[in-house]
Amino acid sequence: MKRGLSLQDALAAYRPDAELAPPPKQIDPDALLNAYHPDHLRDGMATLAVGPNAGAQCPRELADLLQAEAYIDEVDLAGAEVTDTDVLVIGGGGAGCAAALAAAEHGAHVLLATKLRLGDSNTVMAEGGLQAAIEPDDSVQQHLQDTLRAGHHAGDPALVAALVGDGPEVIRWLIRQGMQFDQTASGDLHTRRAGGISAPRIVHCRDYTGLEMMRVLREAVIQHRGIEVWSQAPAVELLSNESGRKCVGAVLGSLDGQKLRIVRARSVILATGGIGRLHLHGFPTSNHLGATGDGLVLAYRIGARLCELDSFQYHPTGLVNPPYLSGKLVTEGIRAAGALLLNAEGRRFIDELQPRDVVSAAIIRECREGRGIHPDTGGVGVWLDTARLERSQPGLIEQQFPKLLARSRIAGIDPRRNPVLVYPTLHYQNGGAVIDANGATTVAGLYAAGEVAGGIHGRNRIMGNALLEIISFGRRAGFAAALAGHDRGPKKITLEHVNQARRALTLAGMPLTRHAPQMLPAYTAPGKEIWKA
Amino acid sequence: MTEDAGSESVVDLLINGVQVRAEPHMTIVEAAWAGGVPRVTGVGCLEGVCGSCRILLRRGPAVSVALACETFAEHGIEVLFLPAPAAARHQYELTDFKDGWDIQARFQEIFPEAARCRHCHGCVQSCPKGIAVEEGIALAAAGRFREAGEAFFECVMCELCDSACPEQIAPAHVGLFSRRITAFFHLRPPNLIHRLEELRQEPFSASDKKETP
Repeated sequence: MKRGLSLQDALAAYRPDAELAPPPKQIDPDALLNAYHPDHLRDGMATLAVGPNAGAQCPRELADLLQAEAYIDEVDLAGAEVTDTDVLVIGGGGAGCAAALAAAEHGAHVLLATKLRLGDSNTVMAEGGLQAAIEPDDSVQQHLQDTLRAGHHAGDPALVAALVGDGPEVIRWLIRQGMQFDQTASGDLHTRRAGGISAPRIVHCRDYTGLEMMRVLREAVIQHRGIEVWSQAPAVELLSNESGRKCVGAVLGSLDGQKLRIVRARSVILATGGIGRLHLHGFPTSNHLGATGDGLVLAYRIGARLCELDSFQYHPTGLVNPPYLSGKLVTEGIRAAGALLLNAEGRRFIDELQPRDVVSAAIIRECREGRGIHPDTGGVGVWLDTARLERSQPGLIEQQFPKLLARSRIAGIDPRRNPVLVYPTLHYQNGGAVIDANGATTVAGLYAAGEVAGGIHGRNRIMGNALLEIISFGRRAGFAAALAGHDRGPKKITLEHVNQARRALTLAGMPLTRHAPQMLPAYTAPGKEIWKA
Repeated sequence: MTEDAGSESVVDLLINGVQVRAEPHMTIVEAAWAGGVPRVTGVGCLEGVCGSCRILLRRGPAVSVALACETFAEHGIEVLFLPAPAAARHQYELTDFKDGWDIQARFQEIFPEAARCRHCHGCVQSCPKGIAVEEGIALAAAGRFREAGEAFFECVMCELCDSACPEQIAPAHVGLFSRRITAFFHLRPPNLIHRLEELRQEPFSASDKKETP
């Protein structure tokens, strides 16, 4: 990487009123992505040797976990307390809560187990909003096309049709749970544009959309008489029937002890979120602490097929400094509101509302070619020109982006006076477990919803489709799981799938030394170095 | 590290009873990790919105509460990570509300403590988000739920105010109730309703999903 300007020099040269030329018109997105997007870093990739996706490529950090050993054996289950429930939901973010509420609405008894506290998730941190085609000049059809196109046509059209068709109903359901949204003076829902979308379609609650959604859903789950919540109860392993082909429950651990608990369930819904805390290719992340890909590991070991394992989203505008906020998000909403991106030379270099993968690749190009800005504390980035936005629309940042301001206040910076230094941050797992429109995976009895599921976003997700997906598919999975048929006869619970996975690893000559799911990043363990970019 | 404790670049503090040496730009969470403090599991978003990393903080004789991911290491302080808040004591489901005229009466049944605020400021002092908690409670008790909910807009549900309240008002839950009931009864956006009605008359057809050029 060529060295650009120091932060001090770049700040001294910065003028919020400088005349700006438009960004280059002619770009070749494919060439840009090939050359600069982290998905195309060949060095960090590995080929899976075992499992349903054997032969497929994925980042090495993920391959290591997908091909790791389980923690437990059948002998560990002896004497463990057994709990029965209709539906077991693993994960306490937005998708898990939506699934639990939907299943409970259909009369199922639901047990929701979450690794951390209920609501500790990427949902609560989401800022920008969710998509629903509700404006007169917009349509569900346009939403469908935007989603498929931005995903480079790798998404499953049937899943995308289900997602976009649910949009308006999802908003109504959220309002019925008690969620507020920003309105215009006439009472309409306020909508924003975003990168890669053809009409204003993002509904939001200032830049706290995820917080508003999560605190409402958490309260709804806690208050619901049909849902029991176990927190600090990470899933250690799934349970299978004698053939190892059907999921019949899970083994839950505890963050404050070694005690294992067995949960037998008619259906299990994985809603464990993403993988940001694996820091693929050494990137910082916008994700919460628990995003260690546990659901992918559990699903893969029991034989569920995954998709797009080599495709991840690097959100263009992660913070660079101060270091403790490295990788934390500045919402795309601020670019939708007019904030521009400038390189160290003070020039625009990309249309800011291109899809996220293209904008991220352009930022990485600028930094690699010596047009980045380097703070003393490490890292590199480009300007997100919030100060110019404030000049052109005074008061806008305070009214619409209170989260950005609150965080900046603690960090001792003011985005209204100075631009903010940003660099792409590992944000989202585009793929995941293969599902159908009911959220069913390729393994009987096992459902997946939210970020852990794949097939919707193709190879690039557009803003606002994640918060829509967790509700749309969370509810779909919850309904389907609640209505799934009873098995007749005695329910045998085994770890046969673990035995089979171990045999496959042994036959492939893979080591059995590493264990997964990871549950927490290594740097939280006592005595470990704190992870640094 | 060779620097003396108390110099600019290093600070010594106590976290969960463990002596920790950290750098002052580190948050308490980072300091706890760096210092090998075991069993710090009440950590979530690391950006101040999940409300999990609740701490009790002692600076000399002064005791306060805060969120560990937004508090920086300081020399000589003592930090205790607090357990997660107790289960909610107040039980309601929004679908039990049939009539908007009854909200205030029902609110008084669900949260009878809200009318008993003695203005001790414990909640206000404990709030890491600077929310005017007491005013919000007074607004809710007076049936002004929209305004009460707005007062709690930046609430992250850490429930530190709840721990501080001698009347056990559960202010964070009162604030959230105020926000939820406002949306449930009053948020009726015409653009959304119109599109829902269009889709009711002509459902979006998944067969018609060919992309137009």
